[in-house]
Amino acid sequence: MSRGSCLCGAVSYRVTAPLRPVIACHCSQCRKSSGHYVAATAAPSDAVEITGKVTWYNSSESARRGFCGTCGSSLFWDGFGDHLAILAGSLDGPSGLAMEGHIFYADKGDYYRAGEDLPCFAQGRSGPKVDP
Amino acid sequence: MIAGGCLCGAVTYRVTGALRPVIACHCTQCRKTSGHHVAATSAPREQIEITGEVTWFRSSDTAQRGFCGTCGSNLFWDGQGTHLSIFAGTLDGDPGIRLAGHIFCADKGGYYDLTDDLPKTPAGDPGLTTQVIP
Repeated sequence: MSRGSCLCGAVSYRVTAPLRPVIACHCSQCRKSSGHYVAATAAPSDAVEITGKVTWYNSSESARRGFCGTCGSSLFWDGFGDHLAILAGSLDGPSGLAMEGHIFYADKGDYYRAGEDLPCFAQGRSGPKVDP
Repeated sequence: MIAGGCLCGAVTYRVTGALRPVIACHCTQCRKTSGHHVAATSAPREQIEITGEVTWFRSSDTAQRGFCGTCGSNLFWDGQGTHLSIFAGTLDGDPGIRLAGHIFCADKGGYYDLTDDLPKTPAGDPGLTTQVIP
């Protein structure tokens, strides 16, 4: 059982299935909405029980982003598949998760390098790798 | 001209002065709101011109956080000092600033490591957060 919430507590969630390792996404949309870059785990949507009102923003034709309308915490990325991505910073307590890699690294901000000694992919994980 | 904005474009800003180097904050509040950790530059308030409506959340007795109520983008941290913090991911283009350190590392998430060679402090550090490019 994993739990998490936004900063103000208006939205909380619990997850009854194992969580995926954390993947960092450096695409322009993730950078704008998070203020840096996104780091997300994921779980089957039907294993994520959300309490409270999530505000959804349709960020593309194929995805929406969920946040708390009160405190602005970034919480979810929903690609309308069978899994819901959960932004890892919103998890409560030690999650036992580890970051596994970086995607859309070709779009990262100029002001940082992710630094971690992890695979970095120019776009998705099925495509070519790039140097960190 | 230094400019930035949220994902949907409802909030934009321009900065007429110099930006501070970027400092990453790993405190629990920053981790919750950003979904990972915060990386912010800053500038004197009078040199930042904001267009559009920012939604503010009072996150403590001494600070508030600004975001776009439409798309949820995290934009500002307002510590009520002379400077307003601007989340670096919202900047357009490359204004030339770089990440220069990490604060509140004692509170960081367990799922990532800080492996760069930049200064790291367990709590706040004015020596890092008040520096400004001359």
